[in-house]
Amino acid sequence: MPPSARILVSAAALLAATSSAFALDAPAGPLVTTDWLETNLGDPDLRLIEVSVDPGTFERGHIEGAQNVVWHTDLVDPVQRDIADRESFEALVQKLGIDEDSTVVLYGDNNNWFAAWGAWVFDTYGIDVKLLDGGRKKWEAENLPLTTRVASVAPSEIALPERDEALRARLADVLAVAKGGREGTIVDIRSPDEYSGKVFAPEGSQELSIRAGHVPGAINVPWSTAVAEDGTFKPAEELKRIYAEKGIDGSKPTIVYCRIGERSSHTWFLLSKILGYDVKNYDGSWTEYGNSVGAPIVNVSNTVWTGK
Amino acid sequence: MSAAIEARSRPSLPGPARLGSALALAILLGLLAGGLALAHGGFEDGLALALAFGTAFGLVLQRSRFCFYCALREWLDEREPDGILGLLAALASGAVGYALVFGAWLPDPATGRLPPDAFIGSLAWTLGLGGLAFGAGMAISGSCLSAHLYRLGEGSPTAPFALFGALIGFALGFASWNPLFLAFVSEAPTVWLPAWLGYPGWLAATLIVIAALAWPALLRASPRRAAARDRLAALAADAGTPALKPLRAVFAARWPGWLGGLFVGAIGAFAYLRVAPLGVTAELSARARDLGTAAGLVPATLNGLDALRGCVSIAADMLLSNNGVFVLSLVAASLASALAAGEFRPRTPRRSEALRGVLGGVLLGWGAMVALGCSVGTLLSGIHAGALSGWAFGAAMIAGIVVWRALERLVRRGS
Repeated sequence: MPPSARILVSAAALLAATSSAFALDAPAGPLVTTDWLETNLGDPDLRLIEVSVDPGTFERGHIEGAQNVVWHTDLVDPVQRDIADRESFEALVQKLGIDEDSTVVLYGDNNNWFAAWGAWVFDTYGIDVKLLDGGRKKWEAENLPLTTRVASVAPSEIALPERDEALRARLADVLAVAKGGREGTIVDIRSPDEYSGKVFAPEGSQELSIRAGHVPGAINVPWSTAVAEDGTFKPAEELKRIYAEKGIDGSKPTIVYCRIGERSSHTWFLLSKILGYDVKNYDGSWTEYGNSVGAPIVNVSNTVWTGK
Repeated sequence: MSAAIEARSRPSLPGPARLGSALALAILLGLLAGGLALAHGGFEDGLALALAFGTAFGLVLQRSRFCFYCALREWLDEREPDGILGLLAALASGAVGYALVFGAWLPDPATGRLPPDAFIGSLAWTLGLGGLAFGAGMAISGSCLSAHLYRLGEGSPTAPFALFGALIGFALGFASWNPLFLAFVSEAPTVWLPAWLGYPGWLAATLIVIAALAWPALLRASPRRAAARDRLAALAADAGTPALKPLRAVFAARWPGWLGGLFVGAIGAFAYLRVAPLGVTAELSARARDLGTAAGLVPATLNGLDALRGCVSIAADMLLSNNGVFVLSLVAASLASALAAGEFRPRTPRRSEALRGVLGGVLLGWGAMVALGCSVGTLLSGIHAGALSGWAFGAAMIAGIVVWRALERLVRRGS
């Protein structure tokens, strides 16, 4: 190699080193604060994604640079009742401009419910994402600015691995734990009245399961237990104590479920990402389990479905 | 018509005029106080905005007498172009506003997605049935639902009966919904024009169609405008505080149709950007559904209603909904505007007015329910949004008006 070429190569190496030194200085944990996000808005390595429940929420104003992901079409295969397949999810991730160097931050309305569900789906395809602690609620409460402009992001060429099914519990896994054939902890994050069997579905929702009650042995910790007044997660130490007091300490593999599998992602996120436990999300949840013929349940209220 | 112009050009009595202006001011101050309370009282987002949009809409409707039926009737009977130009101006300015919003919300219209909560309905036969009924209801009761609302503020003797009839009509609509949904709606296609033509193509096509429709009206001289100009000149010549004269032009003289139309379109686009598309039936229909369900007339499950876009509300469990606040402030602002202009003229309804009000109202309500919206939601906000359903409803509605009037004429001639 002639000397001039060698200089060029080392200059390129230096440039690469410098640019990586300037790469986004993201916090190590699974959460970012509103302060951090506001400071780092516009960073070329930041990919900000909103996953909100109510249509029109993103469009009427979102955090600068955010892109919209629609939970009921982008993240799922609505025909199969399944997570989106690898091909379509890869196309989505490419369109969002996510590559290996990106720091991906998700946020959304309703206490990040569906942003947490998004985090779980991204994680099954090997993309580790962070949540904006407190979500839209906190960002709005702090009167931070929103925009309606469209973010322009160049698509990436990332290739995704096959889905990691280890993050997911299936009916058979839940049955195995419920019947005592496998060691594990099951967490029911629904309201106490759904758990006890007093009601088939929360107010405002139609019953989607013809049985009320819960999976035998499941521990009831409503999702909101983990949330502070301002919508953020409670501090990790406090969370650890709260869940340990209920018997969830990470010593056994854990499965979380709710009614349709989305809210349970919120608890999945905190147990697995913040506390580092081995947790699977059961996305079939009560609408699958409760309807399954012959699956054992506990219904202390003895409610019987009468078709009305 | 001529009687109305006479009434308006009568020399105004200083006593009642002053009282009217004072009352109008009091109502507007009340609306302001209500808006501040909603904005700072810890209420849900959007309520204060809904109040502001309702106030602006009520004011504009009353000042320019923005009324779908009157505009069409005056054109058909007298070739008076003022009202119809107002309707077309509203369609044009709203479409421009929506195009600006859509470009930011959904940059690529061809992805198969629809912009969130716009009134883009399925192209189902229920649109035709609903439009026909709605048009007939307009012809019988003298106007559509939004105009009955602003006329409530003018003290109209028919409006209360029409709105009562509409409640019954909505309940009947809900009661007949499930079989209609399964027969016509569930598999009907939804045609969103920008998905086919792109935003520039859609907007250009819309404006060209509107210009073509406006052409015959533009060629006509407007006796209404001439009368309004005379009134303006009389107001200007009137002795009085010179500084108040521009205020009289705004609050006492009638606005030209096109001016009101431009404002209606702009309010529509701004309301869509910030709260929801313009529509006046969500709250009314939700109340009717509650009443109908309580009476055992409306089934507990209404197929597909949750998934369909339209201004017919799914449930009203809140005391204050955005649409409820919008409609109440619309009526209040119209009342204030009518009081200030000396156009608040309540009188005891005749039996025929009450009867026509209720009967027309029932058809308005039924038509608006099965078409999932009225002349404001499905027609105006639908055409603004590039929905073919908006044009289809408009055509059916005009057909309903024409057919009903022809029938009435036949019956009269026969008797």
